[in-house]
Amino acid sequence: MKMAVETATGTGTLPQIKGVKEVPYDELFVSGHRTCQGCESALVMRHMVKAAGPRTIVLGSTGCMYVANTTYYSTPWVVPWMHTQLGASGSAALGTAAGLKVLMRKGKLKDEKINVIAFCGDGGGADMGIGAISAALTHKEYDLLVLLYDNESYANTDIQLSSQTPWGAVTTFSPTGSERRIMHTRWKKNVPGMLAAGHPESRYIAAGCAAYAVDLMNKIRKALEVGGPTFVHTLDPCPKGWDYHPQYSQELGHLAVEAGIWPLYEVLDGVVNLTGPTRQIAEGRKKRKPVEEYLRRQGRFAHFTKEDVEHFQAEVDKMWEEWLIPGVIPFTIPQKDVTLLNIDKKKPLHATA
Amino acid sequence: MAVAVKTKETSEVQTEQLMTGCEAIAEAIRLADVDVMAAFPIRPYDTVMQAAAKLIANGKLDCEYIVADGEHSQFEIVKHACAVGSRVFVGSSGVGWFYAFEAIAVTAGLRLPVVAICGNRALDDPGAFGTEHNDSLAVRDLGWLLPWAETAQECLDLALMAWRVGEDARVSLPVAIGLDGGFLTHSQQLVSVPTRAATDAFLPKFDLGDRLLHPDNPITIAPQVDQDWLMEIRRQNDAAMRRAIDVITEAHADFKKLFGRGGDSPFLDEYMTDDADVVFFGQGTLALPMKVAIRRLRAEGHKVGLVRLKWFRPFPTDEVVKSLSRFKAVGVVDRDYSFGSPHYGGVLYNEVRSALYSREQRPTIVGFVAGLGGREIDQSMAREIYEKTAAAATGGLSAGDQCHWIGVRE
Amino acid sequence: MTQATATRPTSLKATDITIEVVYRGIFQKTLAQRITRGVVLAARQRGLPGTAFSRYGDSPERNGVPAKQFAVVAVNDIELEASMARYEPAIVDVTVAVDDTLVKGVESWAWYGRQPIWKPVRANGVVLVTSDKSPDEILAQTDKTDRPYTLGVIPGEASFAGLWVYKDDHTDWRVLGALSKVLPDWLPLDEVKAQVRTQTKDENAVASVQYGHDATTFRPVKAGEGTDAHEKLAFTKPGWTTMRTGVIVDARKPGERNPQFKRYATRTQRPVVNFDTCIKCTMCWLDCPDECFEVTGSGHFEVVYEACVGCGICAQVCPVKDCIVMVDELKFDSNKTVFPEWEKDRNTYNAWFEKTSGRSAAPPKGEKAAVAVGGDE
Repeated sequence: MKMAVETATGTGTLPQIKGVKEVPYDELFVSGHRTCQGCESALVMRHMVKAAGPRTIVLGSTGCMYVANTTYYSTPWVVPWMHTQLGASGSAALGTAAGLKVLMRKGKLKDEKINVIAFCGDGGGADMGIGAISAALTHKEYDLLVLLYDNESYANTDIQLSSQTPWGAVTTFSPTGSERRIMHTRWKKNVPGMLAAGHPESRYIAAGCAAYAVDLMNKIRKALEVGGPTFVHTLDPCPKGWDYHPQYSQELGHLAVEAGIWPLYEVLDGVVNLTGPTRQIAEGRKKRKPVEEYLRRQGRFAHFTKEDVEHFQAEVDKMWEEWLIPGVIPFTIPQKDVTLLNIDKKKPLHATA
Repeated sequence: MAVAVKTKETSEVQTEQLMTGCEAIAEAIRLADVDVMAAFPIRPYDTVMQAAAKLIANGKLDCEYIVADGEHSQFEIVKHACAVGSRVFVGSSGVGWFYAFEAIAVTAGLRLPVVAICGNRALDDPGAFGTEHNDSLAVRDLGWLLPWAETAQECLDLALMAWRVGEDARVSLPVAIGLDGGFLTHSQQLVSVPTRAATDAFLPKFDLGDRLLHPDNPITIAPQVDQDWLMEIRRQNDAAMRRAIDVITEAHADFKKLFGRGGDSPFLDEYMTDDADVVFFGQGTLALPMKVAIRRLRAEGHKVGLVRLKWFRPFPTDEVVKSLSRFKAVGVVDRDYSFGSPHYGGVLYNEVRSALYSREQRPTIVGFVAGLGGREIDQSMAREIYEKTAAAATGGLSAGDQCHWIGVRE
Repeated sequence: MTQATATRPTSLKATDITIEVVYRGIFQKTLAQRITRGVVLAARQRGLPGTAFSRYGDSPERNGVPAKQFAVVAVNDIELEASMARYEPAIVDVTVAVDDTLVKGVESWAWYGRQPIWKPVRANGVVLVTSDKSPDEILAQTDKTDRPYTLGVIPGEASFAGLWVYKDDHTDWRVLGALSKVLPDWLPLDEVKAQVRTQTKDENAVASVQYGHDATTFRPVKAGEGTDAHEKLAFTKPGWTTMRTGVIVDARKPGERNPQFKRYATRTQRPVVNFDTCIKCTMCWLDCPDECFEVTGSGHFEVVYEACVGCGICAQVCPVKDCIVMVDELKFDSNKTVFPEWEKDRNTYNAWFEKTSGRSAAPPKGEKAAVAVGGDE
């Protein structure tokens, strides 16, 4: 008697990369994409398929990485690629994975491991497409990865604010003006944390950044390896919308992590593992940089007053000092329940996967 | 399926069973060996998904059955499953159909032969479950093939035709079969169900050829384009829609040879029209009460008949013109409405008038809006439609008064 | 028409005038807007109607990718209609390039090709370039022309700024001044100054208009003048009968780059590499968002200049001081990779490196050896 649902598993063909020298040279996303100078999201695309390899199908939902990359009837993709709608990355991954699975089962396609990756921007993923991504992450019978590249605005359509735009940042929908200095007063949605907490059957969910290339590629590989529905969220500095010189894309990625604004972590089979500098900060081996170092480098925060910077710092501090797990679980528990819920605050915030 | 009782063996190629239109579609899904389908509940179409689920539960159908988080996801899921070579099925009704609208538009744009049903339902608000064709008709300009069924038998037959025609490389367009909510989706009729072997003889395997999204066939599907490209792409899709006329004709001939059904014309179903002065024109189940009326009117000596449209897209202009120019007057009965349209008529009414406009000899066209929200079309209504049309035939109706609401309370 | 003649100012021979501003996407979007709006508003001073618009095909704009905006002024509303509901005028009277590296050619998107800066300029029209270089230096990098035109250089470096903060260095006012010089009938200096005065209430801005008018240097360019060094890049688009079914294009082959969009026209600076001090750490290659580094047999990474957009990330992430230096694009007239030169003769290469980059080719002294961090420190 077959199980009602078989759990899909990886094939062990994507070993972890130990250092830059092991990063494969083959480019599966090649030059000639019409992205901005210094586009970090383009770098995410490049690393994503580099890590996944040639036996991969990529579905791309509307956004910069659709419009800029496949500019006007041309393509930079070596692997098979298909556009999907703004809110459809989850559905695209689901339909593609389901199609491959049944055709292989019926012998209509050669039975082999083909990676299915659907990407979306923060607009397509954190806003419009969050429902479909959530649905996809409950289908443990399919192997698929949803990658959310987050440049913190609808940068393609002219930089309008999304639910991932940082508090107070200037966008074309939240300009600064003579009457209102700050129009965007919502704090950034915690997408990977929310998805990890809400989808116990998704075996792998991670937050990364292309400024930590090997860490990111290994997260992509782990997601594809463990199989089932998985999710990776990257923070991508955007010279166009954030307003800084393109040469500083890597540096801003580093600053976002070192200031503790964008924690790097992964959740594998329900176990949280902080990675890179985030882990060092949590272990007290590295001091968090002040957020001001990060904010002052970007034109989108040029209107910030001292108070604005302090407010921003206070929110980030709260995340590190009060959250159950910084950057992941945005609540804590009363002291009286620590033993009741068997939570040992002295235990490190991560466990080795 | 539970309610379908096998009666007598009618032939080696098919058996007769009692089932609803939606259950008949589910049988077609089994016969076509559909690979992927996506479900989401909305009345009345979703009884097809209930029936298909039962087939899977009973091991009669091997397919990925995904219960989606909404209609938009439903249609995106099958669109992408189709792109990797799966034969797919999906469907919806009323406002659910509209919730999927974006996905519906791109599916045609990408030439992916998704087969869907639209269990025709009035558009909320206010909520109403009954049939009205405006949901299907809303996609009439997007490049979907749109056939309409009259009986449960035709539901099954059109579904098999849909995969055959839609997946044909000369066409490669999605198909949405119109099923009148309630009358077809929920009432059981006797249906001849083909055997799997006979179906295979009619329906070839789905093959996307060099359009298959697969690592062995590296392609990019739907790159961004601008004004330098889009007109050429639209023109390609236009050519495919034009080619569909011949492909439907071929498929209809083969189907008739195999199963002995489908009538003389693939596009029109004519009833008592040989000597008719006046005919009714419409699509879907309204043909049934109109045929009853025709027999009664003929008993009184009136020369009246019916022309039922089977395919709204592609619109069979030549056949419609050839058929309707034979009559003095045509009463077009719309189970839909187009607010503010020419002469405040229905969609079908205006399409028929435009098809006939360039003809020297053309009949008087009278428009009727009837049966909205699933309201039954009874014999008194049918008679009123006849009388107005006949009056128009003899100049008894003024040109400025060409569309009539039938059976509406003042 | 009769109405047009009736209302036409006697000084005007033509019925309308079209000005094109070629600029670097995003960085100079606001600047281009200020110039094209300035033209229309100045002409309005004497009652002439006009329109300003950006080329829709450029949007969404990308940092550095060449883009265009236009200003059209006509003798009356009827004559203006020919320039309404357009993406791009076929012929312009004046082209303004607000970054001098744009004279190496304009490639704005795939299939567009690399177009000479003077391509839409009518015979005997004008090409204005903001630059701190001489007209001859500019012309040396401009494609050989098939028609005569006048080249004018407006003194001043290219003004780059982000989207949210406009860097007001008066480039817009200087350009308007230069335009009043070449189009005195349409944009008389006093009217342009009057307009700028009303708009800014700033005499420095008005002075900049005067400066642009007086300090711009001109050089007549005859047919046949200019360079042949730049690649010809032009395409013919297929029609609906030959395009693939289902909105499909072939994927790129492994090792291939997008032939329909090469990207080097986006570059204002290019990375020049000191292969002697390179420690082969791979960082430039790893962090390049445009896949333009290729590994050599010796394990060095050479820049494929056809693909490089000049973002500067490689120079920024390189752990070795002055190993990768960003250099003004106008110093080069070829996209050939230079690594073979280094392999052939290091001394000659290094001399060239020092000359072009202005930095020493010698290994940095007194610094502890740099290490590869792999972006994962």
